[in-house]
Amino acid sequence: MGFRPMVSALMRNKTGAILVALQVAVTLAIVINALFIIVKRVEKMNRDPGIDVENVIITYVRGFGADFDVVDSITNDIDLIKSIPGVVAATVSNHVPLSGSGSGTGLRVVADETVDAVGTARYRWSEEGLDALGAKLSRGRNFYPEEVDYILPESNPPAPPSILVTQELADDLFGDDDALGKTVYWGSMEPSTIVGIIGHMHGSWVNWDKLGNVVVQPGKPAYTTNKYIIRVETGLRDELIPIIEQKLGESNRRRVVKSVRSLEDMAARSYRRDRGMAIILTVVISLLIGLTALVIVGLSSFHVTQRTKQIGTRRALGARRIDIVRQFMLENWLITTAGAALGIVLTIAVAYWLEISFELPRLDWRYLPAGIVGLWILSALAVVVPAQRAASVPPAVATRSI
Amino acid sequence: MFSYNVKLAVKSMRRNPIMTALMVAAIAVGIGVSMTTLTVHHLMSGDPIPRKSDVLFAVTMDSWDPLRPFDDDHPERAPHQLTYGDAERLLAIAAGKRQTAMFESSLIIEPSGGDELPFEAGARVTANDFFAMFDVPFIYGGGWDDSADEAAEAVVVLTKELNERLFGGRDSVGKRLTMQDTRFQVVGVIDEWEPTPRFYDPINGGFQEVNELFIPFSLTRSLELISTGSDWGWKVEDITSFEQWINSEAVWVQYFTELESPGDRSEYVAHLDAYVEEQKKLGRFERPMNNNVYDVMEWMDYHEVVANDAGVLVGLSFLFLVVCLLSTVALLLTKFVGRKSEISLRRALGASRRVIFKQQIVEVAVIGLTGGLIGLLLAVLGLKGIGYLYEAPPGLVRLDWVMVGTAIAVSITSGMLAGLYPAWRVCRIAPAAELKTQ
Repeated sequence: MGFRPMVSALMRNKTGAILVALQVAVTLAIVINALFIIVKRVEKMNRDPGIDVENVIITYVRGFGADFDVVDSITNDIDLIKSIPGVVAATVSNHVPLSGSGSGTGLRVVADETVDAVGTARYRWSEEGLDALGAKLSRGRNFYPEEVDYILPESNPPAPPSILVTQELADDLFGDDDALGKTVYWGSMEPSTIVGIIGHMHGSWVNWDKLGNVVVQPGKPAYTTNKYIIRVETGLRDELIPIIEQKLGESNRRRVVKSVRSLEDMAARSYRRDRGMAIILTVVISLLIGLTALVIVGLSSFHVTQRTKQIGTRRALGARRIDIVRQFMLENWLITTAGAALGIVLTIAVAYWLEISFELPRLDWRYLPAGIVGLWILSALAVVVPAQRAASVPPAVATRSI
Repeated sequence: MFSYNVKLAVKSMRRNPIMTALMVAAIAVGIGVSMTTLTVHHLMSGDPIPRKSDVLFAVTMDSWDPLRPFDDDHPERAPHQLTYGDAERLLAIAAGKRQTAMFESSLIIEPSGGDELPFEAGARVTANDFFAMFDVPFIYGGGWDDSADEAAEAVVVLTKELNERLFGGRDSVGKRLTMQDTRFQVVGVIDEWEPTPRFYDPINGGFQEVNELFIPFSLTRSLELISTGSDWGWKVEDITSFEQWINSEAVWVQYFTELESPGDRSEYVAHLDAYVEEQKKLGRFERPMNNNVYDVMEWMDYHEVVANDAGVLVGLSFLFLVVCLLSTVALLLTKFVGRKSEISLRRALGASRRVIFKQQIVEVAVIGLTGGLIGLLLAVLGLKGIGYLYEAPPGLVRLDWVMVGTAIAVSITSGMLAGLYPAWRVCRIAPAAELKTQ
C-alpha cells in the first residue's frame, strides 16, 4: 500500500493532523531545551571538587565574654577533636570550600599595580589543612608546622614566605611555565613563593567561573567565629557529628557551638538552585511526555473506532492485518515527522531566546537528532496498541450495517 | 436553559470518560505547571513595598580604586555599599526626609534563665529611621528614640519569633537582655514582617528571613561590631585595630534614604556630589564623580533579584500550557466530530445553530473550570515542592489571591479558546447529509 490512501485519509481530518503535529513540535522544543539545561546542571553538580566531601565535617564555634581566650580555645578544641577515635585530621580555617562563603583576592606575577590581578579564593589553614580536606598536593611540599601561626583579627600579618596554589591558578598566572618555586605578589605588592601545587581543588563559590582558583596561606585564623575542618574515617561521619557537637559543647561553656554539619550538606546547599532547576525541569518534561503520549493514544484509539467500517472494507478487499497496522503506524509517523520538522525550527528559536534573555549556554546541536529519534520511538509506542486493535477488526464488519 | 446545557455537558462528558479525563488532565497539568512557575516569578519580581518603592533610595558613591572600576562587567557602577566613615557622615548630614545606614551582624545572647544555653542571633545594626522608612509593623513598643541613636544607647528591637523564644511572647518592652557583656533594654517587638524580596538587603540575600534583632548603628564603635555580610576592599591599608578598620576604605555599610517625592532625586544626588567634593579635597574619592541613587525596583534589578532560572521556567511552562491547549483542541474536535449524527438529529428536530454552539461552549467551560481547579491544587503542591527544594523560609512561597484569580481566568479563557473552533465546526454540519449517510 502506498502513501496515497494514507495521505487522503489524513487530508480528510486535516485539522486534527495539524493539531497533533503542532503539539509534537512544541513538545520537541520544550523537551530538547529542558533536557539540555538539566544535563548542564547535572554536569555542574558532578564536577570533581578535589576534596573528600563525603568524609568531612565542618564545625562553627564562637566564644563570648571578656575573659574568652580565642587562641586557647582553638588549641583545646583541635586537640579535643583529634582525640576522638575515627578523626583523621583537623584544622581551623578562615573559610570553608564549597560553602558559598569565602574570601577573595588578586595575585600578580609582577609587582605593578597597573597590571590586572588574577582573581582567586584565599584560604588560611594549618599544615593539616590539606589532609583535613582530603585534597592532594601534586607537586612540591606542604607547609611546615613552624610556618603556621595563629592570626588574630587585629593583627595584620606580613605576607607569608610560602604558599600553595592550585594547578588551575598556576596556569592562570604563569601559562605554560612551571609555577613551582616562582614568586607572586599580593595587592600590597608583598611577595610570596609557591612551594606546592594542589592538583585540583574547588574554592568557595560554586557559581564562579574561576572556582578552581585557590591560594592557601599558612595560618590558624583566630577570628570571632572559628571554623574547623575535620576529616573522619570513611563511614563514621554521621556517627561522629553528634559526638563532636556534644564534646565541644561540654568542654567550654563560654563558647557557642553554632553548627556541626557535613561538608556534603553544605555543598548541596550551595548547589541547591541547580539541583532545584534540574528536578523541576525533569518533572515538567516527564509530565509533558506523558501527556503527549496519552493524547496520541487517545486520538488514535478514537480514529480506529471511527474508521471501523473503512478498516473492515479494506480487510474484506484483501488487506492483511499487517497492512492495517502499517497504515496506522505510517500515518502517525507522517504526522510526527511533520511536527518534528517544525519542531526543529521552534527548538532553535526557543534556544536562541533562552540564550539571549537568560544567559544560558548555547544549545548543543546533537540534542536535535537525539530528540527526534526519541520522539519517533515514543509516538510509535503510543500508536502500536490502537493499531493492533484496528488490525483485529474482522472483515465481516464491512458487510454489516450500523 | 443554562442548567439544561450543564446537564447535557455532564452527560456528554460521561459518555466518553477517557477522552474527558484526558482533556481535564491536560488543562489541569498545564495550569498547575504554569501557575507554579508564574507564582515563583511573581513573588520574586513583586514590589515589596508598593506604597513607597518610588521614594526609597539605595545610595551609592564611587570611593573605589582610581585604577579600576568596582565591577568590571558594569564599569559605570559605583560600589553597592559605602565605607563606614562615609555612612556615618551622611547620616549626620541627614539630607533626606529619613535615612539609615546599616549592616548585618550577629550577637551572642545570654539568656538570664539558668537552663537555656547562650545562642547566636542575627542582628541588623541600623538607625531608628529604619522602622518608619520601611513601614515595619510593631506588636509591642516601637523603634528607639533619636536620643538613643545619638547617645549610642544599648536598646534593642526583637522579632516576634525571638521574643517568643526569650520572653514567651509576652510584652517585653522595658525588659533587659545581655549580649556581648552589655545589658540591652528591649524597646519594641515587631510583628510578622516578610518583605519579599527582602529589598533593603539584596546584597546578602533577597529571599531569607528578616534578622532576629535590631540595634542602633551608633553602637558599632563602642561594641566593636563587625559585619557578617559581605565586605569589599581595594586599598592596601595597614589595619591592626578596630578603629583602623572602620576608618578604612573597605565598603561594607548599606545606606538607604527616603525622599519626599521621586522628583527630589536629582537634588539628593547633588547633595552627595557636594559631600564628595569635600572629601576629594582630603585626597579621597579619586575616581570621577559617580554618585547614584536607586529606587527599590531599580535596586532589585541592579542585584538581579529575579533569578534567570525563574524566567526560563515561566517561558518553558507557558509553552507547556500551549501543548496542553493544543491537546485539548484536538481531543474536543475529535469528540465533536464523532457526535455528528447526534447533533444532526438535534438540528433536524429544530435546535438552532446558536443553541448547539452554546451547549458546546458550556461543555468546554465545565471542562476548563474542572481542569483549572485541579490545576490550582497541583500548583499548591508544586509550590510546596519548590519551597522544599530551595529551602525557602516557611510561608514565603505561597499562592496569593492574585495568582488564584489569574489561574481561574487563564483556565476558563484557555478552555474557551480551545473550544471555540471545534464548536464552530460542529455547528456547520449539514444535518441532512449527515443523517442520510446513516
